[in-house]
Order: sequence, then C-alpha cells, then structure tokens
Amino acid sequence: MNTLDEIEAQIPALRRYAHALMRDAEAGDDLVQDCLERAVAGHRARRADGSLRAWLFSILINRHRDLMRRAPRPGHLVAVDDLAVEPSRPPGQEDHMALRETEAAIARLPDDQRRALLLVVLEGASFNEAAAALDIPLGTLMSRLARAREALRGMTGRERPGRPTPARHPAGRPER
Amino acid sequence: MTQPQTPLSDEELIAYFENALPPEARAALEERLAADPEARAKLEDWGAQDAAIRALYGTSPDAPVPERLTDVLRVPAAPRPVRAPLRLAAMLALLAIGGTGGWVSHAWLGPEAGATQLAEAALTAHGTYVVEVVHPVEVPASQREHLDTWMSKRMGTQMRPPDLAASGFALMGGRILPSEDGPAGLYMYENADGKRITLYVSPQRDKADSAFEYAGHGTTQSLYWKDGGLGYAVVGDMPRDRLRDLAIEAYDQML
Repeated sequence: MNTLDEIEAQIPALRRYAHALMRDAEAGDDLVQDCLERAVAGHRARRADGSLRAWLFSILINRHRDLMRRAPRPGHLVAVDDLAVEPSRPPGQEDHMALRETEAAIARLPDDQRRALLLVVLEGASFNEAAAALDIPLGTLMSRLARAREALRGMTGRERPGRPTPARHPAGRPER
Repeated sequence: MTQPQTPLSDEELIAYFENALPPEARAALEERLAADPEARAKLEDWGAQDAAIRALYGTSPDAPVPERLTDVLRVPAAPRPVRAPLRLAAMLALLAIGGTGGWVSHAWLGPEAGATQLAEAALTAHGTYVVEVVHPVEVPASQREHLDTWMSKRMGTQMRPPDLAASGFALMGGRILPSEDGPAGLYMYENADGKRITLYVSPQRDKADSAFEYAGHGTTQSLYWKDGGLGYAVVGDMPRDRLRDLAIEAYDQML
C-alpha cells in the first residue's frame, strides 16, 4: 500500500470530521479537498515516523483555523431550529429535540473546543493523537475537552436547577 | 475510613471518561466517584453528549466518496483535470454555426442576459482602460508574483494570466474591478505596434459552461465563454479570426 492509498483510506474519517466542523457536507468536502491537495503536495517531505492519520488531521485542522480566521465564525449564532445536518441515524421522536439542542450548542462552542471535542468523540482519537493533531500540550487538550463538555451541558440545560451544582469552577467557562 | 474528599476535577473526570487512566488510578477515582453524585451526573451527561454527536455526525464511512476528492490523489502532478481537446473543438464548432447569429450589439440585450452581461462588462472595462496612458494597469507585469497572489486572493481562485507571446502580445499587468457577482480581474496586453487587448475574468452566478460567443461595439470585438464558474472575455480591436486565435491561446492556458 503506497502513501497515496493510505491517504485515500483516511478520506471517510476526514470527511466525517470536516462535515461536523463545518456543519455542512459541501463545505466539509471543500475542506477535505483542500487538505488532500496539501497532503499530496507534501507527503514526500513528511517525517516517516509520525502517524499518517494524525498528520492528515493536523493539515485539515490548520486549514480550518485559516478558514475561521478569514471568515470569523460564520453561523456561530445558529438558531436552535436550524438543524443544518440530517442526523445520520433516524432518531426517535423524543430524541429529536435533544439532537437539535446539541447541534446548536456545538455550533456555539469556541472553534478550538469544537475541534478538540469532535476529534476525540467522533474519530476516537487518543489524547496523544488529538494533542499531536491539534498541536497543543496534553494538559491544554484535557482542559479544553472539559470546558467543551461543561459548556455543552450548560447550553443544553443539563444542569437542572434542582441539582446541586457546587463543583462548577469559579472561573466559569471562558478560561485560559 | 471515608475521609472528606476534594470534589473530582473536570480534568480528572475527562481522563476517567476517556479511559486514559492506569488501572490503580482508575480504581482510586471510582472510589471517590461513589461519594460524588455531581460527578456521576456529569459522566452520565457526557455519555449522552457522545451519543448525540455520533448520531448527528457519525455518517457511515462507506458512504460514496465524491470523485473530486479521489481525483486529487489520482493526478498528483496536475491537480486540475487535463482539458479534453474535444471540448474545445465542440466550442469552436458552435462558434462557426453561430456565425453572425452570435453577434450581440450594444443596444440589444437578448434573452441570455447573463452571458451578454459578461460581454458588456468586458467591453466597458476594455474601453475604459486601454485608452489610459499613465495608469492602464493597477499592478504592472514587472511585479508578476505580486500580481498573481493579489488577483488570486481577491478573486478567491488561482489566477494566472495566459502567456500570449506566441501571438506577439506581452502582458502589461492587471487590475481588479467590481462586477455583479464579485471582484473581476482585467489583464491587459500590448503588442509591438502598441495595439492593446484585454482579458476580462469574472465570477459567474450561473455555473454552467458555455461555448465561445462574439459580441462587439463597432470595431471593438469580444469573444467570450464561461468555464468552471468563471466568465472569460478577450476584447480587442481586430478581426474576429485574430481574436479567436488569441482566445484559444488564452483558453488553453487558463485551465
């Protein structure tokens, strides 16, 4: 299997991740195409020791960063009833609202948190893989994931008023 | 035995949740978890988040991959598909059949307004700038690298003016112009006799490709076509055959 074949084998995973990041299949494929063009141009210069998969995701992530810088958060304020993505599995009627809420909440996450969370949840990346692809230290990745998850909880109303909420960090969500 | 414990931090919980703890640490954390209902509620919600995210975006990886993506890997040397000569032949054949029928005069705007708009814009731009002595172009060809990056950036697509030296025309430079559907580019060329021609390139709302067509004001003629979401028009004061040869030369290089 040559490198181009190995790259091709990663296309479904790249598409899935890009689709989730962009919340749009077409825009996601644009991002993947951009990533693949760079990968094809640069794969000979790549260090042979690292994982090809992490390398491809890091290219895609860097392209996404550029894209978001150029067009600052398009759709960052997505209406709750704008479910941009057709759920890949038909959910039960009662789950539908929860999915819409999650969709809208993910759209509101800061880009760096969204990239980290989707990489781990959707692609099953290990902490080390994800930290490498995102080019951040392990500790940063973990706190980013924690903040993303708690922000999602807050936005989807999972923190019900009746529940004791002492463990909430005094620093609140916007960290650093 | 059960001593008061510090609540589990989110970072600890994340490591536990993602199964990234060594067995002893995991066991110790589970002990603390038993006494921390808030942390257990978090873990439960995080599990629900994962399920929701996978339901939303976990498209099955065996969905057909669009050809445009696999094509990138097939033709590593030339990412853009090589143009079939047949298409050019077909476009020229249509041009011949269209003959004078393809003519669009200044005053007459026919049903295909989108295409004639392209020709009109190109003719207007040509008329405005070829007469300029001091500032015919915004960025001169001597700054070719800057010209290409700047025009590409403004147009949002790779822009490289064709080399028309074979027909005796040298690039003078280019400029950006406003157009209906976004920034358009205008390249100007000059031959040894001081005759100037322009190549106008503009984004098209209608992405359909088209055959070559003529339009013109008096002696100024335009040969225009649409390809890959862009409209192109070569404009000059010269016989149509000459213009056609230049257009073919440009067409072969633009894609």
